[in-house]
Amino acid sequence: MIDLIVAVLRTATPMIYVAMAGVLAQRAGIWNLGLEGLMITGACAGVVLTEQTGSVAAGLAGAVVFSVILSALLWLVIEKLRANPIIAGLGLTGLGLGGTDLAVQAIYGSEGAVTAPVGIPTLGPAFGAFGLLDALIVAMPVVVAALWVLLRRTRFGLRLSACGEHPFAARSVGADPARMRLVALLLGGVLAGLGGAELSLGGLQIFSVGMTAGRGFMAFAAVIFGAAHPVGATFAALFFALVEYMGIKAQLVFGERAPRDFVLMLPYLATILGIWISARLRGGVPLSSIEMRDG
Amino acid sequence: MRARLLTVGRAIAFVALALVLCGAIFEAAGFSAPDMFSAIIDGAFLSDGALVHDLRWACPLFVSATGVVIAFRCGYFNVGTQGQFYLGGIGAAVAVAALRGVPDVLVMVAAIILGIVFGALWAFWPGWLRIRSGTDEVITTLMGNFIAGLLLVWVTSGPLKDPSGSGQVTASRPVPIGVRISTDTGVSPIIIGLTVAVGVLVWVLVNRTAFGVLGGLAGRNPVMVTWQGARLSRLGLGAFMLSGGTAGLAGAMEVLGPDGRLVSGFSPAHGFTAVLIALVANLSVSGSVIVALFFGGLASASLYLPVIAGLPSAAIDMVNAAIALFITSRAWPTRLPWLRARR
Repeated sequence: MIDLIVAVLRTATPMIYVAMAGVLAQRAGIWNLGLEGLMITGACAGVVLTEQTGSVAAGLAGAVVFSVILSALLWLVIEKLRANPIIAGLGLTGLGLGGTDLAVQAIYGSEGAVTAPVGIPTLGPAFGAFGLLDALIVAMPVVVAALWVLLRRTRFGLRLSACGEHPFAARSVGADPARMRLVALLLGGVLAGLGGAELSLGGLQIFSVGMTAGRGFMAFAAVIFGAAHPVGATFAALFFALVEYMGIKAQLVFGERAPRDFVLMLPYLATILGIWISARLRGGVPLSSIEMRDG
Repeated sequence: MRARLLTVGRAIAFVALALVLCGAIFEAAGFSAPDMFSAIIDGAFLSDGALVHDLRWACPLFVSATGVVIAFRCGYFNVGTQGQFYLGGIGAAVAVAALRGVPDVLVMVAAIILGIVFGALWAFWPGWLRIRSGTDEVITTLMGNFIAGLLLVWVTSGPLKDPSGSGQVTASRPVPIGVRISTDTGVSPIIIGLTVAVGVLVWVLVNRTAFGVLGGLAGRNPVMVTWQGARLSRLGLGAFMLSGGTAGLAGAMEVLGPDGRLVSGFSPAHGFTAVLIALVANLSVSGSVIVALFFGGLASASLYLPVIAGLPSAAIDMVNAAIALFITSRAWPTRLPWLRARR
């Protein structure tokens, strides 16, 4: 049982950090499909900088910086150039996936995996089975709670939600939606960068090209499934991670009878199930509001 | 006419902006941007046989892009082209494997039809979920791409595996010569004919039929279309399946044409590029022809770069992604003062 909790937490935490970035963007009124790109950028910068400097702190800082820069770019394109957020987000994702591929080839001359000498510090053997949990996993509940407080108990958070729900009303009380969205995206950039770094530096300390494999999109789905609520999105991400863990476990138990490719499909199927449930419970994109998403 | 010129100018401006961003990133990554771009242009348009390669990639891309035009015009963001394309390839390969001892021409036709059907079915379920319960199609179709990719791995390493294949890349048995619709060059009368036929049919559908006109309206103002008595759900589901069907056809074309077998993970950038073509062409079928030739060139350059120029092919992914980032911008240049003054 403890093994299960530890494994699920380790799988879910990168997604949870990225989902928190998604929650901030969603509240501010931006569908952030660039999360996948931010995540892979964080994962790549984290490992590469740790490998180059030998310091995890530098790796984490680099992950955050690059992810924030990309977030600022996304804000510029969506707010200032008035691009469609969905397509621009997918473009940013492409930029992250291609850019990390290019960076790895530029620095190491091949597409192979990059290994960092050290990872994010863990609790250590003193904590028994929980010793595998690292600093970012331990900090995760605090971050989620802090985000909840920020969104629901501060002036800034309430204004942010107003910007997403009714920009006109927000403007009438003196909030500038464009600026609030910038703050939300930059703060999200920090969280998404940390999520990406946790994915690569937290586990095997390896970065390989395309390693996020849709986890950023799953984090986005967790935001939808969790109704853009920090705690809801966290549980959604935990659910996706649980499904992934059960698939791996099934393979260990049943071996050949659980075909590998179908087991790997499970998290994606769970994601579809999640947003379908969410649409059934809370109403999805109504058929008559297609033009709303034009941003 | 002026409006159309403006659209073209806008598209070119944003593609140029995207190239500038890419150049900056290439420089930051330690590559020389001029070298990179000249290698890309060489690979795309100037090297020996570049134009044939260009056409080889442009044909399936154009076919998929017409499907994206249909779905996006109706207001549905079907970004699952990649998955529908893979399912089309699987459909064609299944038909070829199942119909042994049947005349080649029949197998060819059956494979193309099964490819279209598989692609359409892979677009059916996100469409159904979207229309019945409002489940966001962007996420479902994206997840569908990942699932289709894994399905392709399973098919090529399981049921349709070529036992004599090498361990590196799993693939199906080669398609018999008589069933192929082109040689490895990928340019043949059948492929060109199919591409032109799809282009003409979709152009007529979009511009000259009730479906196309209502769909275009539905994308902008679904409430009005409902009030006019059109069945929005039927329209939407039709758009999804047509869009999946064209992507499926493109997949079948790859398998029966230049690839000549079903390879695990073939053309990984196809879907994203097809969506881009439709967007750069501002969702116009005729515009997609020219844009597809441009992106076909880029696609062939992504094979040229690592082999001939020794540069990473990820550069092409970057160019595509940067174009996607900017292409839907609506703020500029319509806000340029000289334009505003004349309106």
